[in-house]
Amino acid sequence: MPTPDAKRRTWRWFDYKKQIPARWVIALGIAAWAIFFAIWEISVPLGWVTPLLVPPPQKVLTALWALLTERDFLSDIGVSIYRVVVSFAAASAVAVPLGIAMGAFRSVEAFFNPFVSAWRYLPAPSFIPILLMWFGTGDMPKLALLFIGVVWFLATIVMDHTRSVRAELIETALTLGGNRKQILWTVVVPAAMPNVVIAMRQMLAVSWTYLVIAEIVASSNGIGAMMMRAKRFLHTDEIIAGILVIGALGLLFDYLFRVAHRLLFPYLEEHGR
Amino acid sequence: MNGSVKLSARGVSKSFAVAGGQTIQAVRDVNFDVHENEFCVLLGPSGCGKSTVLRMIAGLEDPTGGRIELDGHDILRPDRERGMVFQSYTSFDWLTVQKNVEYGMKLNGVPAAERRDRADKFIDLVKLTKFRNAYPKQLSGGMKQRVAIARTLANEPSLLLMDEPFGALDAETRWNMQELMISIMETTGTTVIMVTHDIEEALFLGDRIVFISRHPGTVLQDMTTDFKGGKRVRRKEDVLTVPGYAEMERDIMKLMREQGSEEEQEA
Ligand SMILES: Nc1ncnc2c1ncn2[C@@H]1O[C@H](COP(=O)(O)OP(=O)(O)O)[C@@H](O)[C@H]1O
Ligand SMILES: [Mg+2]
Repeated sequence: MPTPDAKRRTWRWFDYKKQIPARWVIALGIAAWAIFFAIWEISVPLGWVTPLLVPPPQKVLTALWALLTERDFLSDIGVSIYRVVVSFAAASAVAVPLGIAMGAFRSVEAFFNPFVSAWRYLPAPSFIPILLMWFGTGDMPKLALLFIGVVWFLATIVMDHTRSVRAELIETALTLGGNRKQILWTVVVPAAMPNVVIAMRQMLAVSWTYLVIAEIVASSNGIGAMMMRAKRFLHTDEIIAGILVIGALGLLFDYLFRVAHRLLFPYLEEHGR
Repeated sequence: MNGSVKLSARGVSKSFAVAGGQTIQAVRDVNFDVHENEFCVLLGPSGCGKSTVLRMIAGLEDPTGGRIELDGHDILRPDRERGMVFQSYTSFDWLTVQKNVEYGMKLNGVPAAERRDRADKFIDLVKLTKFRNAYPKQLSGGMKQRVAIARTLANEPSLLLMDEPFGALDAETRWNMQELMISIMETTGTTVIMVTHDIEEALFLGDRIVFISRHPGTVLQDMTTDFKGGKRVRRKEDVLTVPGYAEMERDIMKLMREQGSEEEQEA
C-alpha cells in the first residue's frame, strides 16, 4: 500500500521557478558541450562538411599546441591582453569619474550627456581608417579603438547607477550634517560602486570584441592577426584555435572580475551572475 | 514636561511645480508649536502633506510661504541639529553597525575615542550591543531602524525627525519599537517630531498630536494627550486602559473618517 510520502512528487524536469538537483545542473551543462563536440567530431566522417573548412577537434588542439610551443603564439596572446588591459584601464579612468559626476550633479550631466550619448551612436569600428591615418601602425590605433568603443557606454551606465543611489541615503547624510564633498565620497561613491564594477565587467567583454576587430582589420601581431595569417595559408585549425583562446580569455577575465566583486563588496547579499 | 517653544511653524505653505507648468499645493497655512522635550506627532490621512511638513522642518524642502523657526532662527538648509529617520531603511550597507552609528559624528569631526564611546552608549540604548560588528544585511527590518535611530541620536541633534519610521515593520516589532521610543525619550529627553497615520501609535507616543486635514493639508486640530497626566506609559497595552484614552481615540477616528484620503473621497 503506498504511503502518502511515496505519492508526493520529488521533482520534475519542467517546473516553474523550482530547483533541480545540483548534480543534474552540472551534468546538463556538460552534456550541452559534449553534444556539441560529438556533432563536430562526426560531421567530417559522415561527410557533412569538408575537413579543410571544419577540422576535427583534436586537430584544432594539436594546432593550438604547435602554435604555443613552436610558433610563439604566447607573445601574440600577451600583446592582445596588453591592449585590452591598457585601453580598458584608460577608458575606466575617464568613464567612471565622469559617469559618477554626471549621475550626482545635474549640471555636469547637462553639460556632458548630450555629447556623450551622441558619441555612443557612432560605431567604434568606423573610426578605424581615420585612426590608422592618425596613429599609423603599432599599438596606438588599436588602443584608441578599444578606448572609444568602451568609454561612452561605460560613462552612461555609471551615470545611471549613480543616479539611482537612493535619495534617502543622501538626505540622511545631509541631516547628519554632511557637506557635498563628504556625501560624494562617503555615500554616493560607496553606494554606486558595486554596480559600477558589474558595469565594468560587462564592458570588458565588449572590449574583447573590439580587440578582435582591430587585430583582424589592421595588425601584424596579436591573436586576431595570427588568425588572419592562418587564413592566408588555409589553416582553419589555427583559426579555430584562435577563437578558442579568445573565448577562454574572455571567460577568465569575467571570472576575475566576479572574484574581485566578491572580495571588494563582502557586505552585499547578491553579487550578480 | 513641556518647556519653552522649540519649533514654531507660522503660515507655512508649500507648492510643487509639476509637469506642464502646473503647481500642486501640498500644504497651506500650517501653524503649530512644538515645545522643548515634547514628543509631537503629525497625524493625518495619507497624502495630506505630513512628509512635506517634516521635510521642510529638516530643511530638505523650502516653504513657498510662511516661516519655520527653530530656537528663534529660520530654517534654511539641512543641518545636523535636525536629524531625520526615514520609513525606508537607510543604514549604509558598506558599514558595520558601529561605523553606521559613528558616521554622523565622523562627518562633524568628533574625535575617534569620543565617537566610540558615544556610539557604544547609543548602540546599547537601542539594544544592538551584540550586533555591533554586524553588517546591515545580517539585520532584520526593526534592527535596521534601530541603527538609524541610534545613528541620528548619537549625532546629538536638538530635534529628532521621524517619517513613519515603523511603517514598514510587522505589528509586534512595531510595538517593541514604540516602547523603545518611550525609553529613549526617558533617557535622552530629545524633542521629537514624528509623522504617522497610525492613531494608536500617535496616542501611545505623542504628548501633542497635530492633526492635518486632507490635501491640501492644514492643521485641523492641535491636541495634547492630557489623559496621560503628563506621564509616559511604558507598555503599549497599559495605555489602552488609561481613562480618557478611548474617548480621544474615538474623536480622532471620527476626524480621520471625515477627512479620509483623497482617493476615498472621490470614490
Ligand atoms: N516632490 C514633489 N513633487 C510634487 N508633488 C509632491 C512632491 N512631494 C509631495 N507632493 C504632493 O504633495 C502632497 C502631500 O504629499 P506628502 O507630504 O508625501 O503626504 P503624506 O506624507 O501626508 O502622505 C501629495 O499630493 C503629493 O503628491
Ligand atoms: Mg508621507
